[in-house]
Amino acid sequence: MERFKYSLLKIINISGLTFLEPVVRLCYGEEPRLQLKKIGRFIVIPAVTFMIFIWMWSIIAPVYKTKSGEVPTPAVVYEAARGVREFHDRETDKQTAYSLDGQDREASLDQVQEELKAITAEKVKADAEVMSAEIARKAFITEKLEPLKAEYETKKEEFLKAQLRRDRALKIKAAKVEKGDLQGKNNLLGYVRGHQEQTAAELDELAELKTEQDDVRNLNYPPLLEALKFQTDVAEQEQYLTKKEEILSKSNRSLKLDEEEDKLKQLQRQYASATGPDLIPIAQQMLRVEERMNNISSSEYAKPWTLPMQIARSVACVFAGFFLATAIAIPIGILCGVSSTFMAAVTPFIALFKPVSPIVWLPISLIIVGGIITDPDKHWLMVALSEMPLIGWLQINPAFIASAITVALCSLWPTLVNTALGVASIDKDHINVARVLRLTFTQRLFKIVIPSALPLIFAGLRISLGVGWMVLIAAELLSSSEGIGKFVWDMFNNGSSETFAQMFVVVFVVGAIGLLLDRTMIVFQRLVSFDGAPAAI
Amino acid sequence: MALNNSLIFATLSHSFRASRFSLLGLGLIFCLCFAGCADGNASSIPSLQLTEADLAEADLVPDSELGSTATPQGRMALEKTDLKFGFIKLTDCAPIVIAKEKGFFADEGLSVEVIAQPNWKTLLDNVISSNLDGAHMLSGQPIAATIGFGTSAEIITPFTMDMNGNGITVSNSIWEQMQQNDENLRSDTPKHPITADSLVTIVKAKLAAGEKLQMGMVFPTSTHNYELRYWLAAAGINPGFYTESDIGGRTDAEVELSVTPPPMMPATLEAGNIQGYCVGEPWNQQAVEKGIGVPVCTNYDIWKNNPEKVFGVTKSWAEANPNTMIAVVKALIRAGQWLDATDDTGKLINRDEAARILSRADYVGADFGVIKNSMTGFFFFQKSDKRPMPDFNVFYKYYCTYPWYSDGVWFLTQMRRWGQITEPKTAEWYTETAMKVYKPEIYLKAAKLLLEEGLIEEADIPWETDGFKPPTADFIDGVTYDGKDPIGYLNSHKIGNKDN
Repeated sequence: MERFKYSLLKIINISGLTFLEPVVRLCYGEEPRLQLKKIGRFIVIPAVTFMIFIWMWSIIAPVYKTKSGEVPTPAVVYEAARGVREFHDRETDKQTAYSLDGQDREASLDQVQEELKAITAEKVKADAEVMSAEIARKAFITEKLEPLKAEYETKKEEFLKAQLRRDRALKIKAAKVEKGDLQGKNNLLGYVRGHQEQTAAELDELAELKTEQDDVRNLNYPPLLEALKFQTDVAEQEQYLTKKEEILSKSNRSLKLDEEEDKLKQLQRQYASATGPDLIPIAQQMLRVEERMNNISSSEYAKPWTLPMQIARSVACVFAGFFLATAIAIPIGILCGVSSTFMAAVTPFIALFKPVSPIVWLPISLIIVGGIITDPDKHWLMVALSEMPLIGWLQINPAFIASAITVALCSLWPTLVNTALGVASIDKDHINVARVLRLTFTQRLFKIVIPSALPLIFAGLRISLGVGWMVLIAAELLSSSEGIGKFVWDMFNNGSSETFAQMFVVVFVVGAIGLLLDRTMIVFQRLVSFDGAPAAI
Repeated sequence: MALNNSLIFATLSHSFRASRFSLLGLGLIFCLCFAGCADGNASSIPSLQLTEADLAEADLVPDSELGSTATPQGRMALEKTDLKFGFIKLTDCAPIVIAKEKGFFADEGLSVEVIAQPNWKTLLDNVISSNLDGAHMLSGQPIAATIGFGTSAEIITPFTMDMNGNGITVSNSIWEQMQQNDENLRSDTPKHPITADSLVTIVKAKLAAGEKLQMGMVFPTSTHNYELRYWLAAAGINPGFYTESDIGGRTDAEVELSVTPPPMMPATLEAGNIQGYCVGEPWNQQAVEKGIGVPVCTNYDIWKNNPEKVFGVTKSWAEANPNTMIAVVKALIRAGQWLDATDDTGKLINRDEAARILSRADYVGADFGVIKNSMTGFFFFQKSDKRPMPDFNVFYKYYCTYPWYSDGVWFLTQMRRWGQITEPKTAEWYTETAMKVYKPEIYLKAAKLLLEEGLIEEADIPWETDGFKPPTADFIDGVTYDGKDPIGYLNSHKIGNKDN
């Protein structure tokens, strides 16, 4: 038991999940008071703060209104997350439906038709509800609008009359002004100005009233919103079911294959009975049908990218960039640490390129990659990557590579600098020992230099990965490489009532994944450090 | 809890133990498994080569003894079945989306992925670099690419996707000023078309204050740019010229136009960077919905039934995949027909469903209500001003899908009018260039197949045309356009480059 406890504590320590330590110790009855205090501090307080954050968010959010809608509350964001999830589930479902065959297909088809029937009835109901809600809203709005309209009309008429009267009065005044009457002319100028100012003020007042009317027209009517939401849900479900039905019947892979096979059999019969030159067209047709069957059997449902897939692709992309950065930064960093001459030579480059923004690197790498890979469909690298298991489905394309290069260019600096620093600050005693033992350069590198520098290198890698993750989202957004960045941009471009909430979903997704990546790096960092590298927050 | 010291580049002294050595590679090693799997060909019979003797024998036999070999019937062999098409989030991408969702692509044996693009430039680049097989394009894009204005590449179009569908929206404050200038506009339902006449004094006042009115359009060679310029110029406002050195098109401008991607328009207007814009749907209706601007004029009013988007592919793609190209056009024609299907009373029957499909987040993604407004034959000019506009989006009627040479020539004349084409050209050049880009021969092949399959009516397609629409004066300023006389057309405008 004791041993188990210590290995558990060690795991907790290495994984950096130190907040679990008091829980384990408490379970073993070790200083309960102290442990409870620690639990209170490291678990209860953060949890409470988080709850307070959610609570304040749900209170403050609805207060601030924008023209794109209200700031979403936690509940709305959760709803949006569910919507994103549902889209993924539906698409996955269609993908499965495409490749179903035999009894599975028939069973699934029956079920879909059943559901379709149910939803059609539902739809009628939803449409009726929207209709009545719209009528109710109209009545509700008209009731509020009528007095405003009436006021506007009366005011307008009133002002018009007033303006006319002023006009006439001015004319009379003008007629009274004598030719040499300077004072009178000046006065008249004043009157005209006054008239103009008053007219402008009246127009302003009218515009104000008009805005009030528009505000009323913009008023939300909760029953209608609810009815519309229900209608949308039903319509989307219906659309999905109809499509699924089609995929299970008309455009199902196995059915299409059967159809082609029938054709082939018929052709084979014809081929068997035909003679002479007639054979050739039939042979040609047979080969064509065979080719088509090949195409069909390897075909897949053209599934759109959904957020979970985009997340996976983003993570793949950030690691591709990160490994590239590591492969560049560590050797250069070691050289910098070992040789001060080399360090002096590359310092200007580091200083010059380090501050460059990803927004600048991306177009450059896009153009360069585009120049190398001119025809992505046929380029050997693209073909090889697309046929590789595990990563084939990521559909690696030039935009992906350009994004990865951008990540690498922006994230290699912390690793480089840290490696150089780690190598440069090796304990002199170690170097002396190496000298005494007459170690060769390679031996010195692998037995002394790298191991000593490792903790700092990993500290650098950790920062690099964090930087890379931040850069990636921007790079994907610009290069429209499928991933979280593209999701953000697409949703923003949608400009729908859900857009705002979807942005918040992405905030949490990106944050959570960044956190996970950081934690992973902490584990590595701890594994290579010996004085219990500073715990991370 | 210790602070996060690892973020600081601190010098730490370390001792090391050899046992930890093996961990070095842990974080860095990642394995890629190469597993080559050869695709097994289902055909059981291997291919055989004819010998020299066989061929020599064949040389001796006269043709008459061989008999004629009938050409094989049946579906064409497709060169490529998995396709990727790009689109911009606008309702006029509908033919591509509908062809996918309603299974018209699948009927042709095509599996198509439809991918949203962030802006027109990226879309064009992706088509040129073969990341996309084809895309929903601005009519001006294939033409400009072919003559080398902007990105240079040979792009062709065998299919016009739609007619009309754009609007000009101004900000609320500009609208108020326009109303002050023109009494007729002070109504919930002002008389249409609204010209830019009431904008003139605003522009002049701004100029006097050392400012220029800023307006947005979506791309230098977009229909929107030319329409906005047309609308302004018709009222005598100079929207600026492109010159050799001024590729922003602002030389002598009284109103400055700038490029903003369509979906960004409402946000840019709201941010105050521009005071008006010309864009496709749903971004005008969005402005009404959000209450940030007022659409004053649709392009139907500027030029009745003007060509809008086209389906563009690179010339090399079309040459490498001729049968696939025809199959794609077939599916698109059917999608257009589906979109414009009406019942006996002339009501568009499929538009509600189309709006529902387009409102999906991976397509246009705007709210159903907003998309529905213009798609179902209505247009909101203000919240209080809903008008029927049955021809706001045309996808099939009026021979809409045919790639007309005269449309290409019109875009070329606009490029010349505003200086994107810097030198004078001959009338023949206009026709030849249009013929390089517009490919009715592909369109007609596809249409013929559809007719044989009984899917379209004979009257739907202009089989015998020479590719030029009859001259028309359906413009906001009443000028007549004849595609066969581009030079005369250029010279009939008050503002714009003129040629002899």
